[in-house]
Amino acid sequence: MEKSRKWRWGVNRWWVLAFIILTVIATNRFAPVQQVIAVAPENLTKSPIITLPLVGGLYLTNTEVAMILMDLIILVIALVVKSRVKEYTLIAKGFTGALEMLIEVLYNLAQSTAGKWAKKIFPLFATILIVVLFANLLKLIPGFESIGFVEEVEHAGYTAVSLGGNWFNVTTPEVAEGGAVVVPFLRGLSTDLNFTLALALISVIMTQVIGVQAQGFGYFSKFFNVRTLFSRPIFGVMDLFTSLLEAISEFAKIISFTFRLFGNMFAGMVLMAIISVMVPVFAPSAIMLFELFIGLIQAFVFGMLTLVFMAMATQGHAEA
Amino acid sequence: MTGDIVQAAKFIGAGLAMIGAMGGGIGVGMSVQGAMEGMARNPDTYGNLLTNMILGIAFSEAIAIYCLVVSFLLLLVV
Repeated sequence: MEKSRKWRWGVNRWWVLAFIILTVIATNRFAPVQQVIAVAPENLTKSPIITLPLVGGLYLTNTEVAMILMDLIILVIALVVKSRVKEYTLIAKGFTGALEMLIEVLYNLAQSTAGKWAKKIFPLFATILIVVLFANLLKLIPGFESIGFVEEVEHAGYTAVSLGGNWFNVTTPEVAEGGAVVVPFLRGLSTDLNFTLALALISVIMTQVIGVQAQGFGYFSKFFNVRTLFSRPIFGVMDLFTSLLEAISEFAKIISFTFRLFGNMFAGMVLMAIISVMVPVFAPSAIMLFELFIGLIQAFVFGMLTLVFMAMATQGHAEA
Repeated sequence: MTGDIVQAAKFIGAGLAMIGAMGGGIGVGMSVQGAMEGMARNPDTYGNLLTNMILGIAFSEAIAIYCLVVSFLLLLVV
């Protein structure tokens, strides 16, 4: 039957202590240096992979590598769960059961908010939520944002100390010119404005699509309301004005979606970079836990707002 | 000299931009206050209130985050 596994603090606390002591030794041996904080993701290739006519050269950036990794993880999980579900056990166990619970909770949420449109809205909402969730939890991988190419720069940087072979450690002392910096292989996906902007565009445009599906083309009278302009002139003008405001708020939604996720995760990255230089022992773990919580909340908020806006789009005016 | 003035103006601007976080803080506090009062009066609505509270917090926190983004842009990009 089922065996409950108990959390064994007895062993784990020695592990924690060992890691703390290891960090103390490591930080005394090699002083930690602050990573380069840049808003734009770094290029991993020197020359563009493809050159498009209007956009220009496209480089392989470290957020793209992270995105491919995230996609692979999600795909593998999906395929594994699919093959497990085919076994037709009545009660799913283990990992499959956990994912089933997640999907059930999300579907109930969609149903309580969107009612009969839940079937239509749920795939979009759940996809966005899961993608953002995995993108934010990806920084659990060790070496995220810290292992990468050593690049020589012209401006101030740090010294690269050889560890044997092709491996270097970038550490103090700081040099004013011609130093070395690390260009990490992986960088948080949500700290790339392109990713959040793409998600925001998908969310807002699909909201319009669902609105049209629910109400027909009368949906657009929400943004340019001339229905009451002639029957009730004074209030009609006011209706027109408020509907134009509604149209502007639709564009504000894109900006707010984009910068909410980007700002939260980028602030987290900067906080981690600064804390791991100032207090390199133990404090980064606590901050990391907080960052994971923030990532969870932001994924929930992004999905939930998509759901709420889509549900609002399916309902017409109370009177029109 | 001019570069130094520009540099100083950047830092001052980034600091001033974060004043906006005050509004976000007040907003978060007020929404939590409302939710807590509701929970205290009617503990059954706990789950429902919690979800909506987190949504409201995210809304008002977004304003503070915009300020943060502006000050980061001032510090790192401009």
